[in-house]
Amino acid sequence: MDRWFLILATLFAVIAGVWGMVSVHRGSRSPWTVSWMVAVLVCQVGFLSLRGQQRAACPLADFGEILAFLSWSLTLFYLLVGPAYRISLLGVFTAPVVMVFQAVALIPGILDSEPARMAGGNPWHETHAATSVLGYGALALAAVAGVMFLVLDRQLKEQHLKSGLFRNLPPVRELLVSLERLLWLGGALLTIGITAGFMMPHEGAPLGHLIAAVAVWTAYALLLTVKSVRGLTGRKLSLLTVALFILSLGVFAFI
Amino acid sequence: MELICLGLNHKTAPVEVRECFAVGNTKLGASSSELIAMTGVSESVVISTCNRTEFYLVGPDARVAFERLEAHLADTIEVHHIAKPHFYRMEKSAAVRHLCRVVSGLDSMMLGETEIFGQVKHAYQEALDAGSTATVLNKLFQRAFGVGKKVRTETTIQIGSTSVGNVAVDLAEKIFGHLKDSQVMILGAGEMSRITAQSLVSRGARSIFVSNRSYDRAVELANDMGGQAVRFDDWQSVLERVDIVISSTGSPHAIVHRADVEKARRARKFRPLFFIDIAVPRDIDPAVGEIEEVYLYDIDTLEQLAQEARSRRQQQIEDCERIIDAELAKMNLPGM
Repeated sequence: MDRWFLILATLFAVIAGVWGMVSVHRGSRSPWTVSWMVAVLVCQVGFLSLRGQQRAACPLADFGEILAFLSWSLTLFYLLVGPAYRISLLGVFTAPVVMVFQAVALIPGILDSEPARMAGGNPWHETHAATSVLGYGALALAAVAGVMFLVLDRQLKEQHLKSGLFRNLPPVRELLVSLERLLWLGGALLTIGITAGFMMPHEGAPLGHLIAAVAVWTAYALLLTVKSVRGLTGRKLSLLTVALFILSLGVFAFI
Repeated sequence: MELICLGLNHKTAPVEVRECFAVGNTKLGASSSELIAMTGVSESVVISTCNRTEFYLVGPDARVAFERLEAHLADTIEVHHIAKPHFYRMEKSAAVRHLCRVVSGLDSMMLGETEIFGQVKHAYQEALDAGSTATVLNKLFQRAFGVGKKVRTETTIQIGSTSVGNVAVDLAEKIFGHLKDSQVMILGAGEMSRITAQSLVSRGARSIFVSNRSYDRAVELANDMGGQAVRFDDWQSVLERVDIVISSTGSPHAIVHRADVEKARRARKFRPLFFIDIAVPRDIDPAVGEIEEVYLYDIDTLEQLAQEARSRRQQQIEDCERIIDAELAKMNLPGM
């Protein structure tokens, strides 16, 4: 049953992405993207709550659950940020990322088919896992905004201004402001997550992923410091945000 | 009951004739009321914009309605006899089609413009409030507004700016969003700079800095626009603060070089910078456009974009006419 929720969420993400792209190609913006993404979120919540019941803990015990949780976090932040800041097309760019994460989670063997109950859960551990993945959701959305900026920047630089995509992309400044806010939000959540990670008991448990997480945190902190103190061009900020997010996914290899 | 339309517009009459027939926005209702006071006229709407004045009348006999209206105009407007050849006269379905084309922006000087829709709506509302409309014109105008909306939603007739100034403003909004947080510098106090800067101000741009070789001219333009004059030797220092630079000096060579912008980048914290070069010869070295956060558009590019928008609108005419034909076929209006 839990898998069906994830399959449905993936299908809704496909619809949101494809429908949105077709509309953009036709020169308009789909008014349904938010609705489809709400449907994605509902199904993700269904999946995570069933897995949570089975685990009797926050469902972040295998790679599939982490990807599903990350997708939920990404969708949640899109729904909080996109419509509120009127960032058009953010949903169209977010849906494919959600779809890819969830499709990977659905590959046989990635999700435990019979999730074991987690005995003696530690609150620091749960805080560490949940806030870290939430932070990754915000950073993923920042990367999505970065990709949107790079597309728009290229179109403006090369003066290709006729496409429906150009007409519907949000302004450069709004994209950069949102990207920076998402980086701060992701960074703050990651800080809480890592702090909780150091507070949880580590008897015999490998610290590899925590060290990798600290490296990721340091990289993001450096990026935000440089941006705030010295300043960065939109292109460099976007490229670094996308590159850092892709590299930061490597942390999960240590779990 | 028969419907007639008598009018003149930018295609049929020069401005010196059009201005004699212009009716103020606040007088449209009274003007409509005057017309229904004539015998042989039961309903009327008067539309008046800078490009047209049109009278839509309904009466038992179209010929009589035309005679009464022309007699009324001859009595009230001295030059009516000179203007007579500039008028177009339409009846029944031709008048309906004409109104639909007007509302859709197909009869406008700037093809596809949207302002006319609001202007006709206002004129109709004034006539309605004045009690000079009834069954025929109420139905006609409501249907025409429906057709106008359909044309705009089902075609792209209104998409894209058709003037250099508007293209520049649209691009500025694509880069900065709301212009209320944007500061603008004008290099060279020429007419094109003034027009483009005014378009930016009308969309919210707040601080304007004007720099010109003749400082007095810069002060004059700055005062006109509520901005601040800057000595020509000091424009580089203002570059650190502004988001948009409009350049239109008469200089025979480039005045903004890559090095000038490079110097300001650090202080600007690498924020986006939009250069609009509307001078010929160009004021801004093309190498400036190679800087990452700089978007540089010259007059040829802006004109090309405006021309493309105009061509796209032209290509849409056939689709718009098809929609109007289809909607006219569905209409079953009295007086047609």
